Amino acid sequence: MSKITQKKLIEQIKELKNIKPRSEWVVLAKSQIFSEKPVEVIIKNPVRKISIFDVITSINLQKKLAYSFATLTFIFVGLVGFAQHTMPGDLLFPVRRITENSQAALTGQTGLKQNVANLNNRINDLALASKEGRKNNIPSAISEINVQVSELTKDLKNSLINDSVAVKEIVVSLKTLADVPGTDLSESPEVKELYKTIAENQIADLEETTLTEEQTETLVEIKDLYEQEKYIDALEKILMINN
Amino acid sequence: MDSLNEQFSHIYDQYIEKIYRFVYLKVNSQETAEDITSKVFMRGWESYQKKADEIKNPSAFLYQIARNAVVDYYRERGRTNIVSSEVLPEITDHGEDIQNKAILNADISIVKTAIQKLEKEHQDIIIWHYLEDMPISHIAELLGRPAGTIRVMLHRGLKELKGMIQEN
Repeated sequence: MSKITQKKLIEQIKELKNIKPRSEWVVLAKSQIFSEKPVEVIIKNPVRKISIFDVITSINLQKKLAYSFATLTFIFVGLVGFAQHTMPGDLLFPVRRITENSQAALTGQTGLKQNVANLNNRINDLALASKEGRKNNIPSAISEINVQVSELTKDLKNSLINDSVAVKEIVVSLKTLADVPGTDLSESPEVKELYKTIAENQIADLEETTLTEEQTETLVEIKDLYEQEKYIDALEKILMINN
Repeated sequence: MDSLNEQFSHIYDQYIEKIYRFVYLKVNSQETAEDITSKVFMRGWESYQKKADEIKNPSAFLYQIARNAVVDYYRERGRTNIVSSEVLPEITDHGEDIQNKAILNADISIVKTAIQKLEKEHQDIIIWHYLEDMPISHIAELLGRPAGTIRVMLHRGLKELKGMIQEN
């Protein structure tokens, strides 16, 4: 290194500020510090020699722990597997819901897509319950659907991006819902609110889009239907424009 | 206890990087620096639990523990002098972490190595003043010396450092 001025030297010294600890070590070290027992703890048992009996006992204990763990794992897997066939109102249904959400998280599904998928699952549950005459499950299935519908409405209201694919899926799902015999959720406040939100979003989107003359006329009709609170009819016309 | 936890947790967050850097520049090994820094904060936490009210300057408190910890480390390795230019090549860590190597270019590496060859107090003063932006008055308090002496030692340390770098 050629002659160096004091100023340059100080600059180079200050470059050493770039030396930093690993962030994962920082977190680990902190957790270790605060997991240490308080200094007042007195060690009562003095160190003693380890005998062969201790080793055998230790091995037996490890075996017991291993078997216990394996048993618990089998029970857990069995429960999760059995839970896949449950539906709203059954005791193990919450396990199935947790599994659905975990799978969604692992596959990277967003909140909106996840809620659409959940809605479809709940509608299928209701259809199956209705078909098999499982009267005890129907009220719970309806309740779950209303919850999903409310979640979707919230997602759509909060979403900055208009996901037209998701919206189309929701509309199709709601049509399927309307076809389930013995249940009519189209007049439920939650479903009406969802229809209204979708219609609002779609109308706002269409107003920003360049439309043909025919499409512009259809948009006027859509707005009329919206004003009359005929949201399902408005959505059907919206789907015609979007196709 | 929760309040002490929170206080020391805040102190940890504030000083972990500084203490690590201080130790690393003295031992030139990521693994060793992590080990020693952990011990510094463990001991710091033990003391803090017993006498939190008496610790008015956490910075001075931790740096003192760090200095002692580094001394203990070298003592365990069978050294009495912390730095000796004959000994230094042996303690260079050939497994120096890739991250820091990438960050430090060749010139800066020379400066780092030269700092390690400095006399202990010159080393400490340069690290504290230029890397940790510690004012001369704080350093003086830490070392229990007058501020004027610290300024002189800082100047001498820089001169020594400059000489070593230019020799290379």
